[in-house]
Amino acid sequence: MDVREPILSIKDLKKRFGSKEVLKGVQLDVYKGQIIGYIGPNGAGKSTTVKIILGLEEEYSGQVTLFGEDISASSVEYKKRIGYVPEMADLYDNLTAEEYLTFMGELYGMEHETAKKKAEKLIGLYGLSEVYESRIASYSKGMKQKILIISSLLHNPDVLFLDEPINGLDANSVMIFKELLAQLAAQGKTIFYSSHIMDVVEKISNRIVLLHNGQILADGSFEELKNQNMEGSLEEIFNQLTGFNEHKETAAEIVSVVQEV
Amino acid sequence: MKEFRTLLFLDWFQGLFTRLGFDYRLLRRILQVKLTMDQRRVPTIFQQQGRKKGKDENRFIKSLWVYALFGLFVIPFIVMGDQYIFQLSITFTVLIFIVMTSMISDFSVVILDIRDHTILFTKPVERKTISLAKTLHVFIYLFFLTGSLTAIPLVIGLINHGLSFFLLFLSGIILMNILIVVFTAMLYYFILQYFDGEKLKDIINYVQIGLSIGLAVGYQIVARSFEFVDLTISFTPEWWNIFLPPIWFAAPFEWMLNGNHHVMILILSCIAVLFPILALILYVKALPTFEKNLQKLSSHGSKKKKAHFRFGDGLMKVLSRSNEERAFYRFAHYMMKNEREFKLKVYPALGFAIIMPFIFIFNGLMDGSREDLLTSSMYLSIYSSFIVIPTVVMMLSYSGKYKGSWVYKVAPVSSRSSIYKGTLKAFLMKLFLPLYALISIVFIILFGYRVIPEIAIVFISACIFSVICLSLMKGALPFSESFEGVQQSDSWKVLPFYLIVGVFLGLHYLALQVPFGIPGYLVILFVVNLILWKTAIKDQ
Repeated sequence: MDVREPILSIKDLKKRFGSKEVLKGVQLDVYKGQIIGYIGPNGAGKSTTVKIILGLEEEYSGQVTLFGEDISASSVEYKKRIGYVPEMADLYDNLTAEEYLTFMGELYGMEHETAKKKAEKLIGLYGLSEVYESRIASYSKGMKQKILIISSLLHNPDVLFLDEPINGLDANSVMIFKELLAQLAAQGKTIFYSSHIMDVVEKISNRIVLLHNGQILADGSFEELKNQNMEGSLEEIFNQLTGFNEHKETAAEIVSVVQEV
Repeated sequence: MKEFRTLLFLDWFQGLFTRLGFDYRLLRRILQVKLTMDQRRVPTIFQQQGRKKGKDENRFIKSLWVYALFGLFVIPFIVMGDQYIFQLSITFTVLIFIVMTSMISDFSVVILDIRDHTILFTKPVERKTISLAKTLHVFIYLFFLTGSLTAIPLVIGLINHGLSFFLLFLSGIILMNILIVVFTAMLYYFILQYFDGEKLKDIINYVQIGLSIGLAVGYQIVARSFEFVDLTISFTPEWWNIFLPPIWFAAPFEWMLNGNHHVMILILSCIAVLFPILALILYVKALPTFEKNLQKLSSHGSKKKKAHFRFGDGLMKVLSRSNEERAFYRFAHYMMKNEREFKLKVYPALGFAIIMPFIFIFNGLMDGSREDLLTSSMYLSIYSSFIVIPTVVMMLSYSGKYKGSWVYKVAPVSSRSSIYKGTLKAFLMKLFLPLYALISIVFIILFGYRVIPEIAIVFISACIFSVICLSLMKGALPFSESFEGVQQSDSWKVLPFYLIVGVFLGLHYLALQVPFGIPGYLVILFVVNLILWKTAIKDQ
């Protein structure tokens, strides 16, 4: 595996906000075709890592190399090969899906007509043809999420960064989406999947990276993690690794407060 | 997406932008999207009107004639004479006020759009292209705004005072715009430096409210101000004039056209040119830090001092007997205090209600002497503050966050009337009473202690009037409908209620004619009030 050139290589990445050090030296090599389940508790530094790679955050120490080029030195060109689904459904929602998606395509350097045709096809496949020409503001949560997903795929990117991408999707759409990820990975795309829903991460990713307090705590396939003396589901492994085992006590306390009334 | 003439114009400079290293195709596309989104926003000036769904119409361009109308305000000051420093100070004050407030109220959205961060910055687009698009966007907006505002005054100036006046005026306006952009951005920058985004949104909200009130009152004041302006006063510049931007811009006129070589005039003229340019340089330097601060917009402040319910708490316990009603009283109070969209619709009406009684009195002052006024029954003009009641009672049904109203259905509310009663009481105590108290204090100072019992009468009448409004309107549950549902026709629905105000006024006037009429009327009103609050609002 290591013979190949990594698509993304992070070396000793550190980042601080004021006095708080959010990333304390992250090391990571990612290869073609991997689906990485990028997990960690709230505030572990997951989104910060992704934001640095996307160029949203500057002033870090360490090196981030994407497609063999240091991102701090290269121009914005490298972003053409990235697709991104942000956690917050930030959209220009007073545009229609048609307007928004073609705009996104064009930002990635596609021709207007090509982007439009492609968006229309994808929208149709996602069952949103009827609302293609209405404003996104009127959409439900799941529909907005589909728009975000489509806009991340429109330009046929080589690397995908997905932050809670199935948020609000119904079970059928989730199934399509999971299968989609598997097939994209088989085509050689690399996927960075960060989520708090452990069962999904467990099922779809072929490599799991656990970030805790700005450091990588575990890295390997689900089987490998299990073999490292850890039992049970990914959720339980997650609890063990992050040193959280008071869930029963906390829940019991909550129940007792609830019953006070 | 449609084509914009502005962009076709911009196309002429395509070569220039490309040579400077910008990706013109993307720049143009971003601007096109931004302009399209602008079309779908309603400017504050038009907020009073019902929102029509469907077709895109360039609401901003359509709102321009309003600015052209405001531009007419300054014409008298331009043609008046050649006391330039005086006339143009007033002119620039008006212009700065209008441009600045509409910049803050309508265009903050552009400067403060944090969606740009996740949507545009993650795409393969150079930062400088995005920044240029943002700057051009603001520039286009300001061009149209000041263009329509000053086109007619400029032409009038050209005809009246000649070409050099015109050129001075034009360059003054350009410098003024630079100053306004920089000042607004710096204002945001400092607010964001020390506060979080919520605070900034609050401040913008208050500016919007101020703009609405300012424009409504502006009609009244401008119409009268000509009677007060005395052109025979000669202007002597003072050192503190340095702090008044309108005077900077007026100074060059005095210097160039009137040949006034007073040192202060020269200094002020220099400031008018140098200060905006220096500010612009500073702005360009500070822009990256500004962008960084912008991210605080999405963060929510953690520390917020929790204000105690204080004196209102005891009052509420007296007014509302049931716990359910108290809960809705508090809820309505929080909603009215916190919801920006609600405040934007309602607070201007409140401001207007404060001013109305005084407008009547000023008219009275014009006609008679002050002694006449003191003994007159002009204080009855306090009834004109009632105009706010039907408007607000109607608005209570609406909310920007109307979707939260499912709680009414889910919660086991035993009596629906308590929802209405609690809300209405909260309105009377938290919104109406403070403004009424303010008017009352001024009236007691103006008319003497004798009016105190009558002020009490008017307040109880207000309580009765609100119940009547509520039961006649039969609106939806409080805060349960979208503002989009407010129709233009709804503002006409309010008119018949003003007749009821007339009835109250008439009864009060009658009571004044009868011996012991006032105390008697007070008692009757009090009893009627108690009965009405118990009976008029029924469940369902």
